[in-house]
Amino acid sequence: MNNCPEKTFIVARHEFLKTIKRKEFLFMTFLFPLLLMGISLLPAVFPGTSPEEDQKIGYIDLTGALEFPKSIQSQGFSPGTSETETSVKEFVMYREISDARQDLQAGLISSYIIIPENFLETGTIALYSPEKEASLPDIELSAELSDIIITSLLKDEVDDPVLNRIRDPVNMKFYNIGESGEPSEQGIAEIFASFGLPILTAFLLLFSIFSSSGFLLRGVTEEKENRIIEILLSSVTPSEILRGKILGLGAVGLLQIIIWLAAVTLGSGYALPAKIELLTLFLALIYFVLGFLFFASMMAGIGAVTSSLQESQQIAGIFTFAAASPLIFMQLILTDPDSPFSVFLSLFPLTSPVAMLARMGVAAVPVYQILASLFILFISVHGVILLSSRLFRVYLLMYGKRPGIREILKNIKTGSE
Amino acid sequence: MHTVEFQSVSKSFSDKNIIRDISFSMEQGEIFGLLGPNGAGKTTLIRLLLDIIKPDIGKIYVFGKPLSPAAKNRIGYLPEERGLYRKTGLLDMLVYLAQLKGMPEKQAHLIAESLLKSLDLYQYKNKKVEELSRGMQQRLQFLSAIIHDPDLIILDEPFSGLDPVSAKTVKDKILELRASGKTILLSTHMMEQAQTLCDRILMLNKGGRVLYGSVDEIRIEHGKNSLVVEFAEKEDFNAIREIPGIKKIIESGKSVELFPEEGIKIQFLLEELVSRTNLLRFEQTLPSLNEIFIETLESAASE
Repeated sequence: MNNCPEKTFIVARHEFLKTIKRKEFLFMTFLFPLLLMGISLLPAVFPGTSPEEDQKIGYIDLTGALEFPKSIQSQGFSPGTSETETSVKEFVMYREISDARQDLQAGLISSYIIIPENFLETGTIALYSPEKEASLPDIELSAELSDIIITSLLKDEVDDPVLNRIRDPVNMKFYNIGESGEPSEQGIAEIFASFGLPILTAFLLLFSIFSSSGFLLRGVTEEKENRIIEILLSSVTPSEILRGKILGLGAVGLLQIIIWLAAVTLGSGYALPAKIELLTLFLALIYFVLGFLFFASMMAGIGAVTSSLQESQQIAGIFTFAAASPLIFMQLILTDPDSPFSVFLSLFPLTSPVAMLARMGVAAVPVYQILASLFILFISVHGVILLSSRLFRVYLLMYGKRPGIREILKNIKTGSE
Repeated sequence: MHTVEFQSVSKSFSDKNIIRDISFSMEQGEIFGLLGPNGAGKTTLIRLLLDIIKPDIGKIYVFGKPLSPAAKNRIGYLPEERGLYRKTGLLDMLVYLAQLKGMPEKQAHLIAESLLKSLDLYQYKNKKVEELSRGMQQRLQFLSAIIHDPDLIILDEPFSGLDPVSAKTVKDKILELRASGKTILLSTHMMEQAQTLCDRILMLNKGGRVLYGSVDEIRIEHGKNSLVVEFAEKEDFNAIREIPGIKKIIESGKSVELFPEEGIKIQFLLEELVSRTNLLRFEQTLPSLNEIFIETLESAASE
């Protein structure tokens, strides 16, 4: 059967060239990273959107026991820019509620607060702002008011260091003990690199596997629907077609994921404060190749058995859902990466590519588990290819009614008849 | 060496016999008709020949050997269910299909261009297949079966859906191919086409072989052995009754159908007729393939 490997390559080349010219492929491949980049760059392009504006806040202190500063400076962090924004809040005292209300309506102040007489018992403070600005609960202001009240109440009771500790009791820092044994401080960049990127990679992996094996499914069903498969079969063997298609579309998927990873790598140097580990990249590629082979040959089998695109996509959907299930359980995997369930997902061939990359993002996965998952996937790939090429041979030319499961199983057993 | 040889081939699908004990051979340079009603097993037989499906029992030889990948490159196939990539350009598609038959890309390109020119499709060479009219698609499909210069060409219903002009183009092309020594398998249920084009035929019914042999022989074999004659004058009608060796005469309008007795030579009758009458027309009636086809099917159904 291997007499004409060049026909496999002709099929592969044709599939590759045909697919990379498809609009769906170009859209997914180039617009998707642009979209991602666009989202991460947006705050930098429009700097005025998220930072706080300077505010004037009126207050009416019915307890008479609190001391407000004239103004405070608050520092806000806006994503996308490395500088922190400073905004100023001015506090204006009022005696009468009616005065404050007048000034608010006149736009002289942006909001006012009332501290009731029984504040010490209830801790309630009311904030009034104009109707138009139905503002979200102002967490920042609430924190600042807490500081002001703590300072006012305890200023003369305790020393300054104690006062500072009460205002800001704990300041956590995170360290990793690396291979050198030296502790190193973990910044946001490192957390993102070890946590976010593998997950992002897992997502991209899944997208890429789905889109390229989807192309395969569609290709097979189309060829079956428009009957060109009969001409192909008069020239090449079913396994040459199967191998050619998997090879060609695998190359498409590989190209796609390389473009994406390149975009992430370039983008990360620019927009995201992170760096990518080479090992993760390497494993991602291996998982892509195996995961793709697994799905693609499964899709080819489904495409051979079913007789219309709609029907094939319905059946493929079941498997796609199973493969996407790690995304549903992502929370579980991330919070408890070493639980039996997470380990199972990262070993089971349908889910292992995504689940394992996600686990690697949050925990040190034992090497034997990675190897085991790769091994299981590898064996499964062989099984599925064997099975699919049999289905391919038996069912490619059967149109009309889809065969029942029992008949399919029988034909898988009897093989090439 | 036979170009194609089937030896007692049978094939069944899920307990239904599709092909039952078929033997036949095809010789180089002939147009071989594969005839039969719908569902007789013609397409299955072609798929067996192409090794797309395997026989349950029996042997199939193509170019003297069981079909090899290299031999597949020498076969061109036009399936009954027409199929082309709808979104691919004409030229690209022809080149791809030729490459799958083992033709180098550059050569395929040159031949594809010249073939497109020969069937008036050259100006559409970069158009997508779906943009062509049905007739053009049919012609293109025909090209895809012969682009790699095959020695054996299998045409399953090549005239279905063709307008008269395209049908004539395809017919001329088939005759041209035979003249250059190619072997052609023509599967059809259009008997007039088969009768004029085919040298020999195999007729299938319900998977079994009902007729096999040269078209002329089959027609003589199935002939009622009668002669149709026509005379210039009415009196001649009486003259023929004096000719010995005629067992039955049926008059029908101007012409008369004569049934000679067993062992009487046609040549003898002709001489007698010429000497006694003013003969306008003398014709040995042979049933058309269509008549034989219907007769064979009816006798098979009544059994």
